Amino acid sequence: MGRLSLAIRSFFALLFKGALPGDVVTKLNLDRKAAPPAAAPPKPAVEPGHGALQMLAILQRDSRLVDFLMEDISSYSDDQIGAAVRGLHEQCREALHRYVRLAPVIDGVEGSFVRLSGPSAVFDPARVKLLGNVPAQGLPEGGLLRHKGWRADKVDLPPLDAKRDLTILAPAEVEVE
Amino acid sequence: MSAKLRYVVGIDLGTTNCGLAFAQAEGLDPRELPPVLQFEIPQLVNPGEVRDETLLPSSLYLQGPADFPEGSLALPWDANPPFVVGHLAKTRGAEAPRRLVASAKSWLCHSGVDRTSAILPTAPPEGTPRLSPVEASRHYLEHLRNAWTSSQPDAPFDEQQLLVTVPASFDAVARELTARAAAEAGLKNVVLLEEPQAAFYAWIERHPDWRERVHVGDLILVVDIGGGTTDFSLIAVTERDGELQLERVAVGEHILLGGDNMDLALARFIEQELAEKGKKLDQFQLHALWQNCRVAKEKLLEEGVKGDEHPVTILGKGTGVVGGTIKAKLRRADMERILLDGFFPQVSSEEMPMRQRRVALQEVGLPYAADAAVTRHMARFLRQQAAASEHGVLRRGTSGLVAPTHVLFNGGVLRAGLVRERLLATLNSWLAAEGFESIAALEGEDLMHAVSRGAAYYGLARQGRGVRIRGGIPRTYYVGIETAMPAVPGMPAPLKALTVAQFGMEEGTQSAIAQQEFGLLVGEPAEFRFFSSALRKDDPPGSLLEEVSGELEELAPMEVTLPADGDAGHLITVTLETVITETGQLQLWCVARDGRRWKLEFNVRERVAS
Repeated sequence: MGRLSLAIRSFFALLFKGALPGDVVTKLNLDRKAAPPAAAPPKPAVEPGHGALQMLAILQRDSRLVDFLMEDISSYSDDQIGAAVRGLHEQCREALHRYVRLAPVIDGVEGSFVRLSGPSAVFDPARVKLLGNVPAQGLPEGGLLRHKGWRADKVDLPPLDAKRDLTILAPAEVEVE
Repeated sequence: MSAKLRYVVGIDLGTTNCGLAFAQAEGLDPRELPPVLQFEIPQLVNPGEVRDETLLPSSLYLQGPADFPEGSLALPWDANPPFVVGHLAKTRGAEAPRRLVASAKSWLCHSGVDRTSAILPTAPPEGTPRLSPVEASRHYLEHLRNAWTSSQPDAPFDEQQLLVTVPASFDAVARELTARAAAEAGLKNVVLLEEPQAAFYAWIERHPDWRERVHVGDLILVVDIGGGTTDFSLIAVTERDGELQLERVAVGEHILLGGDNMDLALARFIEQELAEKGKKLDQFQLHALWQNCRVAKEKLLEEGVKGDEHPVTILGKGTGVVGGTIKAKLRRADMERILLDGFFPQVSSEEMPMRQRRVALQEVGLPYAADAAVTRHMARFLRQQAAASEHGVLRRGTSGLVAPTHVLFNGGVLRAGLVRERLLATLNSWLAAEGFESIAALEGEDLMHAVSRGAAYYGLARQGRGVRIRGGIPRTYYVGIETAMPAVPGMPAPLKALTVAQFGMEEGTQSAIAQQEFGLLVGEPAEFRFFSSALRKDDPPGSLLEEVSGELEELAPMEVTLPADGDAGHLITVTLETVITETGQLQLWCVARDGRRWKLEFNVRERVAS
């Protein structure tokens, strides 16, 4: 087979049948036997939701945050809620600290003046949100720091297990008598 | 020359936690003292999550197929480990306690059971495999070994100098079993070291100027209260050729009493308070309460915390967190009362711990201390040393009570200033009654990690880079000899005790007991009853006690079978020889007149309680 006919046959075979004819495969040295053993299935692409599910599962496991958020607490007294939340808050915070290192976006004192413009400052509206008297053009020199912002400095989550069903945030618990 | 780095590695094989510390030991100036570092131990903390922690909980979980998702137990060195060891074992064990092996070390020292047979967990679900206390210890050591080797492939664990700590109160059998667990874990170059000594080494390591802090004639009491055991030792500062020397002069009995008992006492108290309000807790809630009480206790005991109470909440079961929450609080006054009055009462040095009569038919369980008062055990320890004659180095009071000049604290419980103060105040009140001035504690150790760090320092000291505490064996050992008397029906023949190893016999020495000959039948097992005493220190090897008194404690017997090569049925006359190995283990040998030797082995199979 000439290169041209090979190319054309391959092209149409793939276009209409989705597979190469056997002789073309042989010619191209693409024999299945010669091919490397079926490579490990490609790593499942991480979907945007995976990290979120993993984090929710961790917060539920370590601090029962999902239980708390899903509970109807309207009928309980502040006292009762306070008692539960104190411990929950501490565990939740511990878990967060362990897996995500948080830092302020602007490390300043809230309520004090911070400079925004400067020779090296590149303004990014995702990092700094301007409030109040936002200038029509250009940047203001600075302003009062109202909220320091949060930035995840480092995320240190355990590797995802491909076989695990991430949609299970917490297993059901059954006590065997 | 090999490019491999040689380290000394200290292993704290604890009742509730294990630790690992190391120091570089080669390629340095011989006089240089390298820093001792803590090794972070990778372990499963959740299914599918391995994390480095400074301590490895001494917990082992025997998982079944329904316990964890497949593949979620992989460790860096083992994709499918047969057991879970460490943090995850501990947390999972709280949910399914009958599959959890814990406190294996306390079982190692329990002569009422066969310590080499599979007895743990004590009441597993049907079909669960069981482990012997020796095997459980072996798995902790194996975990440490694999953790080390996988992070330092150039310096395999087996090629390092290893120092494994044991309680000073461990007898020769428990030490032998610990050494066996280490050998079965594939560890080589293992030396055993007593924990209170290790704690003192850690103090020396922290204070290079220690020679200015203690003086000749000083006597240091080491009080070590861990999660499961309480251990006392006395270390004397002596002088030889103008150099300060340290000598471990006494060790206490094995006391199964520790921090876990204290937290449980707090939990039981709160459980009772809740019960009075009509709130009943189930097993899981009680466990959660136990953990929360520990946290609350630590919070209240933190330096500088003034609050009068700390909330202890047990979150609701099921998905309702707020709805089912049980609220309680640990009041400082209650905590202090329970801890101080229950465990550290201010007693006089005359008060001895209560002794429970052992019931003949006892449920299989650990022989926990009958008296929870640590101070009474301390009084007994110091009194016992008073009763034991000898050793001019011990400072004594008018009543004979041994009077330490310093005290060194170790173990998690003693992180609490309150407890340290109470122990010190009690000790000082005894000293005042004996006509001595008050003493102070030696300060400045990390009480959770001191033992492994001190063990690593000891490894350096063995190479001549630091001071060594002389001590030798902590007990005197005897074999029983039946007296030749006409048998009386129903009465056992009276027993004498032949001293085979004297307190303080040093590592790497041996002594022949030529005074007593034994005729052993070739091809038949011969059994020697074996006794020890931590109190009698003045019996020289070969001396005979006319009577086996209460000061002697019977250990597992020793056995030997002389191989029947040719002269079966013959009697061979042998004498005994004691060897203390370089690694600190006691061995007994039978030596025939023609020089042939046979080693006696401990028989730890179950012994009928006498």
